[in-house]
Amino acid sequence: MDGVSFQVAASETVGIVGESGSGKSVTAASILRMVSPPGRIVGGSITYRGLDVLAMSEPEVRTLRGDAISMIFQDPMSSLNPVLRIQTQLVEALDAHEKYRGSKSRPRAIEMLRQVGIPSPENRIHDYPHQFSGGMRQRAMIAMGLGNDPGLLIADEPTTALDVTIQAQILEVLRTLNREFGTAVVLITHNMGIVAQLCRRVVVMYAGQVVEEGPVEQVFARPDHPYTEGLLRSVPRLDSIRHGRLYSIDGQPPQPGEQTSGCPFHPRCGYRIERCASERPPLAVLSSGHRSACWVTQAGGELGAATAGAATGGRRAPALGAEVAPLLEVRSLVKHFEIGGGVLRRTATVHAVDGVDLHVGACETLGLVGESGCGKSTLGRMVLGVYAPTSGSVRFDGADIDSADQSHLRRYAQMIFQDPFGSLNPRLTVEQMISEPLSVHGIARSAAARKRVGELLEMVGLSRRHASRYPHEFSGGQRQRIGIARALAAGPKLLVADEPISALDVSIQAQIINLLQDLQAELGLSYLFIAHDLAVVRHLSDRVAVMYLGKIVESAPTAELFANLLHPYTRSLISAVPVPDPRPQARPPRIVLQGDLPSPTAPPRGCRFHTRCPIGPLANPERRICIEQEPPLDPHRPGHLAACHFAGEAPAIETRNAMA
Amino acid sequence: MAQAGAVDIVRVPDRLAFTRNRYLRALQTPRGLLGLGLVGTIVLLGILAPLLTPYSPTFQIRLQELLPPSGTHPLGTDELGRDLLSRVLNGIRVDLIVAVVAVPAAAILGCLAGLLGAAGPGWWDTTIQRAFDVILAFPAIILGIAVAAILSPGERAIVVTILLANVPIFGRLSRDALISQREREYVVAARLIGVSPVRVLFRHIFPNVVDPLIVQLALSMSLAVFLEGGMSFVGIGIQVPQPSLGNLLNEGLPYLATNVNYAVGPMLTLTALVVGLNLIADALNAGVLRR
Repeated sequence: MDGVSFQVAASETVGIVGESGSGKSVTAASILRMVSPPGRIVGGSITYRGLDVLAMSEPEVRTLRGDAISMIFQDPMSSLNPVLRIQTQLVEALDAHEKYRGSKSRPRAIEMLRQVGIPSPENRIHDYPHQFSGGMRQRAMIAMGLGNDPGLLIADEPTTALDVTIQAQILEVLRTLNREFGTAVVLITHNMGIVAQLCRRVVVMYAGQVVEEGPVEQVFARPDHPYTEGLLRSVPRLDSIRHGRLYSIDGQPPQPGEQTSGCPFHPRCGYRIERCASERPPLAVLSSGHRSACWVTQAGGELGAATAGAATGGRRAPALGAEVAPLLEVRSLVKHFEIGGGVLRRTATVHAVDGVDLHVGACETLGLVGESGCGKSTLGRMVLGVYAPTSGSVRFDGADIDSADQSHLRRYAQMIFQDPFGSLNPRLTVEQMISEPLSVHGIARSAAARKRVGELLEMVGLSRRHASRYPHEFSGGQRQRIGIARALAAGPKLLVADEPISALDVSIQAQIINLLQDLQAELGLSYLFIAHDLAVVRHLSDRVAVMYLGKIVESAPTAELFANLLHPYTRSLISAVPVPDPRPQARPPRIVLQGDLPSPTAPPRGCRFHTRCPIGPLANPERRICIEQEPPLDPHRPGHLAACHFAGEAPAIETRNAMA
Repeated sequence: MAQAGAVDIVRVPDRLAFTRNRYLRALQTPRGLLGLGLVGTIVLLGILAPLLTPYSPTFQIRLQELLPPSGTHPLGTDELGRDLLSRVLNGIRVDLIVAVVAVPAAAILGCLAGLLGAAGPGWWDTTIQRAFDVILAFPAIILGIAVAAILSPGERAIVVTILLANVPIFGRLSRDALISQREREYVVAARLIGVSPVRVLFRHIFPNVVDPLIVQLALSMSLAVFLEGGMSFVGIGIQVPQPSLGNLLNEGLPYLATNVNYAVGPMLTLTALVVGLNLIADALNAGVLRR
């Protein structure tokens, strides 16, 4: 990072936004002088309440850490010590400082756990971290960070590892803490929605530099840096009209250590002028409190004109209502995994997928949405025959997939994986990988195969030159393109895409989404698109199915689903997504679900959602039916199925603020 | 249709990192080169033994017993008047056979056993693993005594002992590596393409698990040389008059006070061979595994 400066006023919330490698975490670490070697703070100043942090001695900084300024991290799994009880860790953090030492520390620890919303904290404080769920661990981390009433809390991607409904809970905790105790919060994130919902000011970082800074309302309404504009426009939004293609920022973010002259963003910028390549723009004040480092806007230029990558929206009409047999048909599919077991040990059954019906037509995209652990990935893999079903059937292209000869399935149905690093064999070259399906299915060999590999690479936006390289020489987005080229090699009809963009940087996600759409239009592919991100699913899908604990709870054509939400779970999922728009009227009413996802080894009786449902027995104790009887997945409107006894009923909170 | 964008390679790290040459690079370190030098020299001496000395290792020269080192006998002679240099150099040959034949054979058998365990049904895996546990419970030299008792002492007993001691090591290593790789997404991807299981195993999985096996191979060779020395030293290995580094040491022991040169030759050779192989294993470990 290079010449970063910003201020946080008391009880203010500031968001630092940037992609991986943009220096946002290093910035946060340097505030507490926690930069690890070989990193070094070589210049500048850090001042906390008038004290110069850089001039302090090491013991003085230690007092500052955890007492005046505390920090919480992205991964709640690894930031708590697994062999110490929660109590031990909380008390240790309190005992290290003056305020709540000795006999005061334990009551204070319990109080903090209560404040962050851990139920019955007197008992749970004796638990070990593994007995807490991910969301609870993150709360415990926040409790630890806030124990000594710090003036400033630095949260480094505090919700990135969590599901949206849990994320909504954590954000609510941070919001409350900030409002009630006046703790200033520095929130580091890549999610513009979180910034819009939680922060007063935002600092946008790119390649180790602050490129824009200002009040959230101003920056979101009128970004003055092309990168900010790109970030805002490249994310599909739940509250916008669906359009053909996403705005995308071309190219890759620079690697840390890569030297660029001029503005670090100019190679990817659609507005660049000559000056951008040679001179680095200073961070200049444009209006009160709003600064940006861009030659174009400083010269009075307007953003919004460039349409990088915006081609005509080539969405083909989905084959709706056509009386042809669906390409993929899943009937009452069940998958139970036995876990544990062995001599003298009880086995537990994970109900990963529990009676799912769905179908995907030709050239159609079915979006499958759900939180982690709902069984959506298992379902995706069963469709391709990776796991054998416990019961039920999968028919692909007119034949059962458990038939002896799987060559048809293997050739015409392929998968795109989530992890662009794990899904490519590190020991094979790109050409070896992409040509493998060609040789396996006897499509092409030697020279013909090489030619085809070149075509495929160009089709996914890479170059023939890349064929002889190994996967580690590519960035995440490029690797995902290689994975897509491999999936396309044998000319498939169906692609199962399991969270294909969630491991990628924000500015790369739009590129891959556009690529998937272009390929579908060109090759007539069908997609089973599995994701947790509702906005992306809405953008890409013709129809959407929502999964909860192994079952589909709602399914409908996309427009119908989002216009008439029938199931309370779908409603809460949508309300939990932070909308990247800070205006109060854009903020949908939030339904913050209670508790965590129940364990799939013991799904609740009756309706599986009743333990968390905002309209179920929790809110209306007379609704015994939800506990006793499982609701069937019935059509409530044309083409719109929902599994809820009280489908269509809005949770009470929404009556105050219509959602439409 | 592909929006071109700036899709140039972002990083261009060493191309060699994932090719076979990474072994060469790992060995081109001070440790690796020293190890290669030691082992290479000794191997050459062993192979060229008949050319390097005018005497047969079993030829007894009358009235020339227990000579100190001299121009004609650089390491002196033993109590039966045999040229010690010739005996040491010929003794190396046994160790070479042991290291170059027995250890790779053990590695192949072990990998097959590990593969059977990883690919077979659960009870199969358990049985094989428990059998490995039983064998690993005994120190190699104890195994050697048992084998020698059954097969009678000799080269065959040493080879069998080395097989017994190393098959479980390779079996366990390969099984664990296979199991950890099997669930990786690139393997799932290969299966989804329709690649046959055998091809998945050899083309996709095996190149990703071979590194720890190579390191273990170097380590096991050093242990094998050590074991030959140990077994022959206690008399259950190579039998006189055939020379081996181990029994030469044993024979030289009574003369340690009067003829130091007797034991020093085989001792230095054996040590150099073991240290050299260890250095190679170490260099590979540092250069290939720990990166």
